[in-house]
Amino acid sequence: MGGLALAVLSVLARAGFASAGRIPDPPASAQATAGMSDEECLRCHSDPNASLSLPSGETISLYSDPAVFRRSVHGDKLNCADCHVRNQTVPHPSLNVVTARDFHRAEYELCKRCHFENYTRTLDSMHFDVVAAGNAYAPVCTDCHTAHSVMRLAESHVQIAKTCSQCHGAIYDDYVQSVHGSALQSEGNPDVPVCTTCHGVHNIQSATTAAFRLASVDMCAQCHASKGLMDKYGISSNVLKTYLNDFHGKTVGFYQKQSSEVWAETPVCFDCHGVHNITRVDDPNSPVIKENLLPTCRRCHPDATANFPSAWLSHYEPSVNRAPIVFFVREYYRFLIPVMIVGLIMHISLDLWRLARNR
Amino acid sequence: MTDIAMRSRRATLVQREFVRFSVGQRLEHLLTMVCFGVLLLTGLPQKFSDASISIWVVNSLGGIDNVRFVHRVFATVFIFSAFYHVGAIGLSLIRGKFNLSMAPSLRDFVDALVMLRYSVGLSNSKPRFGRYDYRQKFEYWGIVYGGIIMIVTGLTLWFPTYATRILPGEVVPAAKEMHTGEALLALLVIVTWHMYSVILSPSHFPGDWSIFTGKISHEKIKEEHPLEYIALVGGDLEELPDRAQTPAAVAASSRDGEPEQAGESTNDEPGKG
Repeated sequence: MGGLALAVLSVLARAGFASAGRIPDPPASAQATAGMSDEECLRCHSDPNASLSLPSGETISLYSDPAVFRRSVHGDKLNCADCHVRNQTVPHPSLNVVTARDFHRAEYELCKRCHFENYTRTLDSMHFDVVAAGNAYAPVCTDCHTAHSVMRLAESHVQIAKTCSQCHGAIYDDYVQSVHGSALQSEGNPDVPVCTTCHGVHNIQSATTAAFRLASVDMCAQCHASKGLMDKYGISSNVLKTYLNDFHGKTVGFYQKQSSEVWAETPVCFDCHGVHNITRVDDPNSPVIKENLLPTCRRCHPDATANFPSAWLSHYEPSVNRAPIVFFVREYYRFLIPVMIVGLIMHISLDLWRLARNR
Repeated sequence: MTDIAMRSRRATLVQREFVRFSVGQRLEHLLTMVCFGVLLLTGLPQKFSDASISIWVVNSLGGIDNVRFVHRVFATVFIFSAFYHVGAIGLSLIRGKFNLSMAPSLRDFVDALVMLRYSVGLSNSKPRFGRYDYRQKFEYWGIVYGGIIMIVTGLTLWFPTYATRILPGEVVPAAKEMHTGEALLALLVIVTWHMYSVILSPSHFPGDWSIFTGKISHEKIKEEHPLEYIALVGGDLEELPDRAQTPAAVAASSRDGEPEQAGESTNDEPGKG
C-alpha cells in the first residue's frame, strides 16, 4: 500500500456558508494571507457528507462547520489556510496514512507552528512515552483540545476533568465522588484541585515514579498548608508541619533532599488519605477516621494492635488536652536543659574564679 | 618547706603512679565514647532535620536509611555495653571485690556545699574527696539515668508495635520527645561539663587522660582523691598538704618524688608500702 495516493476531492462542493447564530468575523488579515481563501476551502468542506476513505477501511469526515470554528478561540485569528498550509493546492497533495489515527497524528503536528512551547512539553510527558512505546492512541493536542472547536480549557475546571475522563473514566468516577471532585461537580468550586492541578498540563509525568511520590507531599501542601485557603473551609493548615515533624515525614523530608532517587516506603499524604477517592477526614468511609485507622496502619505495620494508631497524633500539636504526656515531656526538657546547663556553667565559672584567685 | 617535703617523701616513696582504672573500665569508657559520638552524629540530624548541616551529614552518610541503620547498630552496641557494665558489677559482687565508691551519699551534698563555699571564698579548704568526687558521681549517675532513658525510649521507637501492645499509643511520640530531649541534654552536659572537668579545666589542662592510660599520678591522686590515697597507702589525713594554702609545697613535693615504676595497685588493693 506504500505511496498510496488519495484524492481528497471525493466530494462535491456545496456553495455558501452553513450559517447559524452570530458568527465572529474572520480576521482582517484573511484576505491578505497567502494561498486559498476560506470560501475556496468551504466550497468542498462545508458539505456534511464530505468524507475520505482510508486504506484501513475507515472513513473520516472532511466536513468543517465554519460557525463552530469561528466561535473557537482561534475564530477571530486564523483562517483555514493558516493551519492547513500543505492543502493550499487543489487537488491536495496525497496523504501517506493507513488509519484514521495515523491521519490525526499527522495533522496535530500543525499545532506546533504556533504552540511550539507546549508542543515540546508534550514530548516530555508520559503520554509521549506511551506513544514512544508504540501506543498510537495516547493523546495528542487535538484529542484534548479538539481540532476546530478549541476552547480555553484552563478557564473551565469542569471541562478539564471531563477532557481527561475521555480516557481515564474509572479515575474520573472516583474523583467525582471525592471531597474535591464532588465540590467541583456540585458547586463548580474553583479552589478544589482538578486533574491538571496535581498532574500538570502538557508535560504530565507518570504518577507512579519515586520522584512523583516524594513531590506529592508538597503538592498537597500547596493548598493544605495555605492558611488563608484552609481557614475558608475550617481545615487545619498545620498538616504539613506536623507530618514533617513526625517519623514518616522526617524520612520523606530527607529522601527529598537525597541526590539519588529513593522509593519512599514511608507513607505520603495519599497513602493514608486516598488518592482520587479522597474523602473528608470525618467521613465514615475515610481511611483515616479513628474507626478505620487501624486497618490503614496495618497496611504497613501488620502487627499493629488497637493502641498503635494513637501513636500518630493525627496532625495535632501536643497540648495539655491533646497528647498531654508528649506535651509534658517536651515542657520538662524545655525547662531542664537550660536550667541544667546554666547551673553547670555557673559551677565552672566559680571554679575558674577560685583558680584565678589562687594564682 | 623542708618539713613538708619530708612528710610528703614518705608518701611519694610508695609509688609514682597508681592504677585507677582496669582495662575493662577503660574499654567501657572508650566504647561508650564511640557509641555516644556515633549516636549523636546519626541522631541529632534527625532531630534538627531542617538544618543544612543535618542534610549534609545525612547525605554524606548515604541517606537517612543508612543513618538509621548505623544508629541502630551502635545503639545495640551501647545496650550490650550497658549489660556488660551491670554484669561486671555483678561479678565484682560475687568475687567480693565490690565497693561503694560510686554510690551517692549525703557526704556528696556536703562536699558540693563546701566546694561552693570554697569557690566563692567563704572557706579556704577544699572538700577532701574519696575515689570519686561529687562531680564524677553526678556524671556517672547522669549516664546511668540517661542511658536507661535512651535505651527504653529508643527501643520503643524502634519497635512501636510491640510497645503499644501493652502501653497506650501516645507513649511512642512521648518516647520520641524524651529520646531527643535527653540526647540534647546529654550532648550539652558533655560539651560543657565533661569537657571542662577533664580537658579544659586549668587543673587538668591539657587533659586528664587517666581513663585512657588507666594510671593516675601520685600527686594527682593525693590532690584530688586524698581519702582514697590514704586508704591506699595509709597515713594521716592531716599530714596531706592543702593545695589552696600551700600550692608551692605540693608542686615541690611532686618534684621531690623519687622515680619508681608504676605499681599494680587498684583501689581494691592498697599499694605496696
